[in-house]
Amino acid sequence: MKKKKAVVAAALCVVMAGSVLAGCGGGSASTAESGAAAGESGAASSVEASTDDLNVMVETPVESLDPQQATDGTSFEVIADYTDGLMQMDAEGKPINAIAKDYKVSDDGLTYTFTLRDDAKWSNGEPVTAKDFVFGWQRAVDPAVASEYNYMLSDIGQVKNAADIIGGKKDKSELGVKAVDDTTLEVQLNVPVSYFLSLMYFPTFYPVNEEFFNSCKDTFATSPDTVLSNGAFILDDYQPAATAFHLKKNPDYYNADSVKLAGLNYQVIQDSQTALMNYQSGSLDTTLVNGEQVDQVKDDPAFQTIGAGYLWYVTPNVSKVKELANKNIRMALTMAIDREAITTDVLKDGSIPTYTAVPLQFATGPDGSDFSGDQDKFKDVCAYDADKAAEYWKKGLEELGIDKLSLSMVVDSDDAPKKVATVLKEQWEKALPGFEVTLDVKPKKQRVEQLQDGDFELGLTRWGPDYADPMTYLGMWYTDNPNNYGLWSNADYDKIIDECTKGETAQDPEKRWTTLYDAEKIVMDDAVILPLYTQANAEMISPSVTGIEFHPVALNRVYKNAVKAASK
Amino acid sequence: MKKYTIKRLITSLFTLLVIVLILFVLMKLMPGSPFNDEKLSEDMRAALYAKYGLDQPVIVQFFRYVGNLLRGDLGVSYNISKNTPISQLVQTRLPISLGIGFAAVVFGALVGLILGLIAALKHDTFIDTICTIISVIGVSVPSYVFALFLSYEFGFQLGWFPILFNARKAFTSSVLPSISLSMFTMASIARFTRSEMMEVMGSDYMLLAESKGLSGRALIFRHALRNALIPIITVLAPLIVDLMTGSLVVEKIFAIPGVGSLLVNAIQSNDYNVVIAMSFIYSAMYILIMLAVDILYGVIDPRIRLAKKGD
Amino acid sequence: MSKKETAAAAAVVQTPEYVPVDSDFVLKNDESALAIDENFAAQSFWKDALIRFVRKTSALVGLVLIVLITILAAAGPGMNKYSYSEQNLNEKNLAPRVPGLEKTGMFDGHETMKTSSGHTKINSYVDKGLKDVYYWFGSDNFGRDIWTRTWEGARVSLIIAVAAAIIDMIIGMSYGLISGYFGGRVDMIMQRILEIANGIPRLVIVTLLLLILKPGMITIIFALMLTEWISMSRIARAEMLKLKEREFVLASRTLGAGSFFIIFREILPNIIGPIITQVMFSVPTAIFTEAFLSFVGLGIPVPQCSLGSLISDGFNSFTTHSYQIVPPIIVMALLMLSFNLVADGLREALDPTLKEM
Repeated sequence: MKKKKAVVAAALCVVMAGSVLAGCGGGSASTAESGAAAGESGAASSVEASTDDLNVMVETPVESLDPQQATDGTSFEVIADYTDGLMQMDAEGKPINAIAKDYKVSDDGLTYTFTLRDDAKWSNGEPVTAKDFVFGWQRAVDPAVASEYNYMLSDIGQVKNAADIIGGKKDKSELGVKAVDDTTLEVQLNVPVSYFLSLMYFPTFYPVNEEFFNSCKDTFATSPDTVLSNGAFILDDYQPAATAFHLKKNPDYYNADSVKLAGLNYQVIQDSQTALMNYQSGSLDTTLVNGEQVDQVKDDPAFQTIGAGYLWYVTPNVSKVKELANKNIRMALTMAIDREAITTDVLKDGSIPTYTAVPLQFATGPDGSDFSGDQDKFKDVCAYDADKAAEYWKKGLEELGIDKLSLSMVVDSDDAPKKVATVLKEQWEKALPGFEVTLDVKPKKQRVEQLQDGDFELGLTRWGPDYADPMTYLGMWYTDNPNNYGLWSNADYDKIIDECTKGETAQDPEKRWTTLYDAEKIVMDDAVILPLYTQANAEMISPSVTGIEFHPVALNRVYKNAVKAASK
Repeated sequence: MKKYTIKRLITSLFTLLVIVLILFVLMKLMPGSPFNDEKLSEDMRAALYAKYGLDQPVIVQFFRYVGNLLRGDLGVSYNISKNTPISQLVQTRLPISLGIGFAAVVFGALVGLILGLIAALKHDTFIDTICTIISVIGVSVPSYVFALFLSYEFGFQLGWFPILFNARKAFTSSVLPSISLSMFTMASIARFTRSEMMEVMGSDYMLLAESKGLSGRALIFRHALRNALIPIITVLAPLIVDLMTGSLVVEKIFAIPGVGSLLVNAIQSNDYNVVIAMSFIYSAMYILIMLAVDILYGVIDPRIRLAKKGD
Repeated sequence: MSKKETAAAAAVVQTPEYVPVDSDFVLKNDESALAIDENFAAQSFWKDALIRFVRKTSALVGLVLIVLITILAAAGPGMNKYSYSEQNLNEKNLAPRVPGLEKTGMFDGHETMKTSSGHTKINSYVDKGLKDVYYWFGSDNFGRDIWTRTWEGARVSLIIAVAAAIIDMIIGMSYGLISGYFGGRVDMIMQRILEIANGIPRLVIVTLLLLILKPGMITIIFALMLTEWISMSRIARAEMLKLKEREFVLASRTLGAGSFFIIFREILPNIIGPIITQVMFSVPTAIFTEAFLSFVGLGIPVPQCSLGSLISDGFNSFTTHSYQIVPPIIVMALLMLSFNLVADGLREALDPTLKEM
């Protein structure tokens, strides 16, 4: 996978010079239905701001506050609350200057020179310098640190020597990042990476003060005393894996005037019913709602659905299960799925039924349109049609010489996937006579491992975009890609992908775009995956709160521009 | 008694060591690895294994672990809270679970004892039936249903207590979780007290005490209850361990940062070190409480004390 | 003897010089009454126990309830046209509606929904134009009939619990009896093993097992068995310690009986009472543990259901459609109650010393 990503990323940088990219952050910032929250921070400034904290909830505890160790959404969100990188995300998800006040790109696109602002300070009074970035980045690739997201520097970021350092072939001091002086940071890349700036808001690229780090050593980032803030807030109450923690406004933040909140009060709530009760009793300003609760609140003006970027799909093991190697069987499976029923009757959270191999609302083409905006183009091969599905099924069974088939599907033990799987089973068994599905419910970690080991028949899984290009999905079905769980292989497909990454097409954005459609068509026509829906989250956001920015990936929620109106 | 206690302590230590070994083997049998993200490559995983020494043979890992354990080092978490020393997690979380569990035990045992006593004294009457119904509801409704019901009614609708646990309002916010946790204990103790009391009161020595002219309170408390207490303590002891080591469900509903959810999360995300450490604490508490119960028996019942002298 | 009688006796003594006369002593002159000689020895222990059991109303009620639930668990799912797994997303989340009763306004399919704008009374049957559709206990999130699922779940829970309890009995009993009978070093080692098995949190053992083995009823029974046998073995050992020095054991041994003959043929029949009682108590425990496993997401595989999985499903709709959790909870509570009542009754019936209060 790493090798593949390297190729893909290398090509991307050449190609996408012109296209507007949000990098790992994904495209559209928010699909909020009412649009109340996002993008109105300007208008909101007229409202008298409350001196209260903003009370927010997350579903999972923070796994790590170490920017180079964190891998989960909650951790990223909290780290970004109190740390600024060179760039941060704006409301649209585009990179804007943060610690960097200016940057220069060399003509060959291989050298980035960032000029740092001189008024950025750590919360212990030390200035934020270029050295802090060098130290942070070196940690990210240091094999001794073993950061799980080190591929952000090597494969995706293409920082010089990153791959070799991770592989243990070079020393970390040889990383292509240099502090020319305190306020000048110079980055060397292997190949031009057009979306490089948008990687800068990713916490893996955040600075770490070396002196402070050495004074904490093993306890770094495990308590308020062992983290330094250079961002909008300061962490003042936190314990590892805490269910409640607190951040207060950072008075020394270089942009402190624009931060209206007095603080952030986080609460980890795993049970959605408890969460909604808290929202309704006023102790939370925002909350996630799920499934059945949506019926209770859908007419509330505070109710919004926000795109989450993930594509959920069923992956059939075409290499190991001979029945699934039969195309007619796969066609029958995908056409027997009523995706509308799943999203409107079961999930209800605003998830969008998806009939393409690339999810909606994250990859924008040269002409500014959504890569998967047209959901009808593959409808003839995957739209719900029970009769046609049964026909394919009959044909498939005949070819296989069987009249019954039972398969198992591995599923996460989380609530939503379990519900979806239950419905899928019923839809399949109803539409396809002689078909029996057993659901193998496993904790997520086990599920992922089973898929990676090829130890499955059908798998219900999801994939979030790493960068805003269809290739983050289409690259997965390249022969031998580790995320090609079913080990499907098609020479024509590989040729197109090669063509779009290394070939001439890679140089021509328009042509590449249409060629990628051809690749997607092969995947869809052959029913390599059974796409289900593009995930969205249903949220309640108190009408007194404006300016919370939502992003599908990287920093899911950004609060520093949020305003909470004073209660009367 | 002293010799007996020392002997028990030594065997307990040995037992604990065996438990750690078994846990180690179990962890190895566990499918999956702690490092298992969709976006994690094979090389990366190998690097992580090397970093934490998980690439060593199990026996090497075991002895290293025991060595660290003796120095009070429980290792670090791989997953739940990356690289955080588990001793730190335990330090912040165990007291909370212990506190809520202790409140639940005290509340459950007291109310259960009273209900059981009343039921036994007024057996086969209307009051007895009421007590029986209460205790049956207690043992037959899962604690998470109680928890949600209580938080909905008394937390949300009536607003008497906080819905979520709050370290700054530890007392009021512990009321609902403690009560929902204590229901099972209360019900079991009530049932058990009732039947034990009935048995004791039907015994010959009670008849003797009664015919000696003892009556009322003295009879019940000095004679009957004291004798009924021994089996009750036997039932209570394992319940104490279960309650004090945290309950996943109640912790989940009230957002309590306790150790119960830590164990379940650790099992589900293959966080080996946390599973072993939490199980170790559980086992140690279990063995300790069993030891305490044995010694307590001696205090309550002189016959057992005498029997152990010869042991 | 109560105090009153003693006082009366004292009063008699104080009466001065009473000389008895012949008329004080008369024959009762009731030949038939004299002839009745209740011969307790003629009744076997079991018959005696049965009589005692039947006399205890609460135990009988419990037994009747168990039988009733078992019958419903067997026949209930077939009593209407729905199957336990068939979904009908168009008819989901319908409140209970019972033909006949609906006229009373009680079970007419309405429910009160709490929206953010306040409480509204809705009747989804009417809203969706479902005229002759009746879900006696309502329908769940997927439009499955809760009546059918409740009894299906009761069936699964009963099978799991009874099977687990019986296997526990066999393993735990044998272990306890052997440990107690041989005593000494054997007992010491076996008790250490027990302590170790008990020292590892059940949750760890059970979840690991469910992760390794294929999920399903057999796996759950196996997991329950692994953790529940311990209490059974404790009781068996305690009883054994009480009995093994008794004369009949000594007699059997001097007659040349082997250890296993003595354990299983001589002593076992004498302690079957407490053992059966313990089985009755461990059935509810097994139902409960299974319910917990469902809550953690490791219960019976969907779409099969057990009372535990139904409760945990209903739990997720507790604040939205609260009627969904009620039927499985009630059935579970009734099962728990009746097993406990029967166990109590059995204990008293099988242990005559408890009889006279």
